Amino acid sequence: MTLKGTSVAFAIGAVLTASAAVAEYPERPINMIIPYGAGGATDISARTIAEPLGNAVGKPLVMANVTGAGGATGSVAVQNAKPDGYTMLFARVGSHSVNPAMKATLPYTLDDFRFVTVYEINPAACAVSPSSGITTMDALIAKVNEGGVSYSSSGVGSFPHLASAMVMSEFGVADVMNDVTHIPQKGGGAAITAVLNGTATFVCTNSSSLASFVANKQLIPLLVTTSEPVVGFDAPTANDLGKDSLNQLVGWTGIAGPDGLPDDVAEKWGAWMAEATQDPQFTESMTARGSVIRLMDPVEANEFIQGQYNVFRKLVDDLGMRIEG
Amino acid sequence: MSLADSLMAGLSVVASFEAFFALFAGICIGVVGGAIPGLSATMAVALTLPFTFTLQPITGILLLLGVYKGGIFGGSIPAILIKTPGTPASSATILDGHPMAEKGEAGRALGMALWASCTADVVSNLALILFAGWLASFALSFGPPEFFALILFSLTIIAGVSGESLLRGALSAILGLLLATIGLDLVYGTNRFTFGDPNMMGGLNFIAVLIGLFAIPEIIAMAWNPTAHLGKARSLGHTKVSFADYRRSFRSIIRGSLIGVFLGSIPGIGAAPSAFLSYSEARRKSPNRENFGKGEIEGVAASEAGNNGVAGATLIPLLALGVPGDVITAIIIGAFMIHGLQPGPMMFILNVDIIYGLFIGLIVSSVFLFIVGSVAIKGFRFVSDVPKRILMPAVLVLCIYGVFAVNNNIFDVGVMFAMGWVGYLMMRMHIPAAPFLIAFILGPLLEDNFRQSMLMSGSDPSILLRGPITWFFWAVTIITIVAIARNIRKIPRA
Repeated sequence: MTLKGTSVAFAIGAVLTASAAVAEYPERPINMIIPYGAGGATDISARTIAEPLGNAVGKPLVMANVTGAGGATGSVAVQNAKPDGYTMLFARVGSHSVNPAMKATLPYTLDDFRFVTVYEINPAACAVSPSSGITTMDALIAKVNEGGVSYSSSGVGSFPHLASAMVMSEFGVADVMNDVTHIPQKGGGAAITAVLNGTATFVCTNSSSLASFVANKQLIPLLVTTSEPVVGFDAPTANDLGKDSLNQLVGWTGIAGPDGLPDDVAEKWGAWMAEATQDPQFTESMTARGSVIRLMDPVEANEFIQGQYNVFRKLVDDLGMRIEG
Repeated sequence: MSLADSLMAGLSVVASFEAFFALFAGICIGVVGGAIPGLSATMAVALTLPFTFTLQPITGILLLLGVYKGGIFGGSIPAILIKTPGTPASSATILDGHPMAEKGEAGRALGMALWASCTADVVSNLALILFAGWLASFALSFGPPEFFALILFSLTIIAGVSGESLLRGALSAILGLLLATIGLDLVYGTNRFTFGDPNMMGGLNFIAVLIGLFAIPEIIAMAWNPTAHLGKARSLGHTKVSFADYRRSFRSIIRGSLIGVFLGSIPGIGAAPSAFLSYSEARRKSPNRENFGKGEIEGVAASEAGNNGVAGATLIPLLALGVPGDVITAIIIGAFMIHGLQPGPMMFILNVDIIYGLFIGLIVSSVFLFIVGSVAIKGFRFVSDVPKRILMPAVLVLCIYGVFAVNNNIFDVGVMFAMGWVGYLMMRMHIPAAPFLIAFILGPLLEDNFRQSMLMSGSDPSILLRGPITWFFWAVTIITIVAIARNIRKIPRA
């Protein structure tokens, strides 16, 4: 190698070192873990934000579904990852406020994660089959007092499970654990099918999962938990019925990293999300599915999730629903 | 709107180059995806889903349906050639398909798999188009008690796939039931046999168990005794299926297709039990039942008809009720939602063009499947000519990669190897693997539906006999068990 060549090589080396020293996060693709299966609510939401978010980040986002145990498997994968911002999780109401509130045996707690954003809120709704003859919440509660009312959910410790219990409790059912029967199903689709075929009386879940059944007149909505009416749902809001506290009962999707994520990384995510949620196509397709876009910065997101967790935890303890085994 | 109007409306959305190209491309992706061990049809559909976001609704949905149908057929290719189901639905195809390949009839088995698949596909599509409404309302009369009775009946399949010894089959089934209890308890939400490991909370990964049970034992056996296969007549997969074969198996194919349509239209069962049920019915009705499990072409035909018969029929609950019937249709329903379509009874009124467009696409898909499948067979059958010492390491690499990719989890690869040793020991002790698999799939369904029934009735067992559907399945279960018992007594004790 000539002297000239060596010096060029040194020059290149110097430039590379320099750029490495000032290199900012992110300098390589970011792994994004979706803890639920393809085609589900979390998956669709995650993949809708992925495109505008990827543009904002400037590096590719590698999306992977890691499924199982009601979102726990994927959440654990991120919990154990290095807190360098290259492994992030699409967190969901089920995996990060209902599950920690209900399950003592869960391998993680909220403290194991640092939330960088919540970007989507899903109103919840309760619905019954037309063949049940029930058309209002009052009629449903009257039936509960007669006995024999049951509700379905996508599994123990899932959002629909807690939602139904909370609605029953707010509407004055004295002994929720014994007066209404919980019939868990495997997955959200099966939970709705159980109401369609008469296995269970009612289901409370995200309004977006119920929208097609309500539009097709296969299910009658009794209640939406938001203070504003939900498009397509001809049902009173929780506030109309004087149950303002049910406003807490909403689904959400957010992004979290492992606990110990540096402040500057969290701040960057806040800025990226602010940019990504401005994308008109993103807004349009999310609202068409019945979601409410509600962007929270890292601080606000942590407060929101902790607040919801506390409400759920209190309810679970009051009703004796906590799963210890 | 008359039928002709509906058809024209359908044609207007589907009659484009993109729509048919998407369907064709989907089938190609599906066949290749299904043919790679570990990369199941479900994964192929899940991987394709993000690409449909930007397509026209009908084009995107046809692409996914193509992948689905192609994948279910594609799974039979490795099942026959290397004893590894490419997709869970093709596990039954191994029973006779692989012995045929061992006899040098790989081409014939593959050909029959394709013909049976396409025939079942046509039957299934016709059932969807003609009887969707009727079958959907029938499916809605299946609550947990009906499911319980149906699955109880399906467990009698174990007797049909146990081979020579029912006792060994039962042992295998018990082992499958035991391992299926790992994971979260459905009703209490508590952990069962997880030993505190979060990886076990979701239960053992099905694909890992499947590959471990079928593919890995072959590889271990090869490593144990690398020269055992030398001198045995293998290779020459150039035999072709004849029309006489097809005609002989035609009854089994139609029966399998109808079983597939029936089980496919009820949400929650899926293609693998259908294939096994079709196989065991074909065996029961066949004059040469002795030959089943040793390379009987009718067994391949029945299995493939059983699993492809499900493919069109799972769209019945999806389109008519808006309910996904299995994991794959749960992904496909996501594609509907992304495009703002709401499957259900109203879709037949509001989106007639899309519904009929899908129907037209589905009919064309059977033809495409035949074309793509024929080409694939020509390409893949030479795999059986590849020397085993080269083939097996390649299969191992594919298996590890595929099982890892299901959940991006190295633990699953460990499960695969552990199950591989279990499978190898079972093979050495002549314990059949198929009953294990059936119990592993059906066991949790049986338990969950039983416990849901008990929750519904407040622990009153009479709910299990609540209507004609349950009576029917209880009756056929008892008849089958009596028949099995009589068969056992007829065989003189050696």
